[in-house]
Amino acid sequence: MTLPRSVTIAAYASFVAALMLLPLVVSDPFWLNRFAKYCVYGILGVSIALSWGYAGVLNLGQGLFFGLGAYMIAMSLKLASATSLQQGSTTPLPDFMLWNSEPGAVTDLCCINKGSFLWIPFQWQWFGVAMGLALPTLVAGILGAVIFRKRIAGVFVSIITLALVLLVRLVLIDAQPITNGFNGLTDLGWFTVAGFEFDPYVTPTYYLVAVSLSVVLIGARLLVETRAGLILQAIRDDENRARYLGFDVPAYQIFFFCVSALIAGFAGMLYVLAAEFASPTFMDLTFSITMVVWAAVGGRSSILGACIGAMLINTIEASMSESATFMEAWKVVIGLMFILVVLYLPRGIAGVVKDGIGRLLGRRAVAAAPVVAAGE
Amino acid sequence: MSNKSALTIEEIGVDFSGFKAVDGVSMVVEEGELRVLLGANGAGKTTLMDLVSGKTKSTQGRVFVEDTEITNREEHEIARAGIGRKFQIPSVFRDLTVRRNLEVASCLTPGVFANLGFGFPAEDRDRVDEALELAGLREQAGRRAGELSHGQTQWLELAMLIVQNRKIILLDEPTAGMTQAETFKTSQIINGLKGRHTLVVVEHDMAFVREIAEKITVLHLGKVLAEGRIHDIERNEEVRRAYLGSKGIA
Ligand SMILES: Nc1ncnc2c1ncn2[C@@H]1O[C@H](COP(=O)(O)OP(=O)(O)OP(=O)(O)O)[C@@H](O)[C@H]1O
Ligand SMILES: [Mg+2]
Repeated sequence: MTLPRSVTIAAYASFVAALMLLPLVVSDPFWLNRFAKYCVYGILGVSIALSWGYAGVLNLGQGLFFGLGAYMIAMSLKLASATSLQQGSTTPLPDFMLWNSEPGAVTDLCCINKGSFLWIPFQWQWFGVAMGLALPTLVAGILGAVIFRKRIAGVFVSIITLALVLLVRLVLIDAQPITNGFNGLTDLGWFTVAGFEFDPYVTPTYYLVAVSLSVVLIGARLLVETRAGLILQAIRDDENRARYLGFDVPAYQIFFFCVSALIAGFAGMLYVLAAEFASPTFMDLTFSITMVVWAAVGGRSSILGACIGAMLINTIEASMSESATFMEAWKVVIGLMFILVVLYLPRGIAGVVKDGIGRLLGRRAVAAAPVVAAGE
Repeated sequence: MSNKSALTIEEIGVDFSGFKAVDGVSMVVEEGELRVLLGANGAGKTTLMDLVSGKTKSTQGRVFVEDTEITNREEHEIARAGIGRKFQIPSVFRDLTVRRNLEVASCLTPGVFANLGFGFPAEDRDRVDEALELAGLREQAGRRAGELSHGQTQWLELAMLIVQNRKIILLDEPTAGMTQAETFKTSQIINGLKGRHTLVVVEHDMAFVREIAEKITVLHLGKVLAEGRIHDIERNEEVRRAYLGSKGIA
């Protein structure tokens, strides 16, 4: 059953309001920073709901797009850090490049090692931002074109995306001279807009992330309300039927796959602002699968549900993390929760809540106008 | 009725690694005509529809919609060229409501970017309402398509084709699994489409065929065995032997 529009709008509005009011309740910068990270996870939840719930594409390599976004901005912020600026060269230079340089190498981004020139444009922070959005989208476009034009579907898409994220992770670690390998990019500068520096532990940074989440959340919701969003859901239900109605099915799948990747890349960038590092762990299999669990528990076919699922699970996890035994137990709880949800609650928490509200409204409608209810 | 041909099939055939499921079938269906395809199980009726609609690529022959050749084009291009198709196993968008199903079908601008807007133009909504009415699904408009009965699902798929308003409509066993009453209603819906669309219908139910048929093409082992009015077909000895069997057509 579909809920009245007013209920949906109320749900989104109260969630956004809660995000905006949070700093009034939480004043500890440490916790505010944590919540900023959970907002990032919320954005990831949205991106998973879009591809899994609405397009029917279970991407087990969403961490690839997140990681690409993260690395792009982290490269810029690395060059903006105090250490990079004080290497005594004309261009800023990441410290790890210097540590690993051949004796006598020219200490300049152009040629300290074979790949270092790639870093040159990242001296401009906005280049990093642009790449953080463009690269995940582009990779998704190419990957999507291959997968969907070849009519690969279902579990095979999951296997391909899973393999790809692992592959890129290996390459990333292997390209140690320009990526700092396992260690990732740490000791970053702050994101700066018009002279204002986004210190991860101040309220404006929280708001940057929270507003981003709100925009992504509402944007994604509006997107699935468009005709294209409706056709996408039709394609999810029956690809062939849509084809014989005259729709170029792969075009829709590629488009929404790209949007999902763009959102994940954006999340990666925001994460770097809040966490001050980028690491190959973003492309670990466990991370990509964890995102899917968040979305499944929250409700993959609900944009808001998946978002809240991601934030809720992380908040619970953090409040338990004080004790090591709890942490171990928590992993089991999460695993169990996933299995139970998949088996018994395919629509997740969002489904339960929707049904509950629906029943409440239904009962009221019956009381008010029995005829309407009977016609349903 | 004009004598312009809507669908022209020339010597079409497909070779499934040695087995010719359809083998040089030619057929001209005139504009506004309702053609029934008859044939025993495995005669190649569904495969012929697959060849026309692009699901199966042909290894010989050509297909035209009016003067446009559509042989082996992509399915969505063939659909846009004017062919709508209903499947033997009814297929609808199960998680969308009945109305949403029809709205998707009503959307005749197929591009992604063209569809980044909200809502549907008034004339599309009118067509959706009309189709709901014609298929008798007005009461069900708000229900999830997956909850419909078998008969209603079939009608929904028909209604989607009505909304699409394609020139040519291919129907593969539209009454399969229906009760007598449902079959009767289906024949009424199909009769309502006569003249407005060119129809090609695969059907086994002879009572139903008599209800709707004008001209019949009989397929046998991938070839055309006979073609003609229902009386001629019923009397045709070859058809009796090949398809209708001892029980006859009566
Ligand atoms: N992709 C395929 N590969 C090999 N053989 C096929 C393929 N598709 C269909 N066939 C064969 O072609 C023959 C014709 O099948 P088709 O489905 O067209 O028959 P039909 O006339 O629709 O029969 P029915 O009345 O049972 O629906 C059958 O023998 C079938 O097994
Ligand atoms: Mg068949």
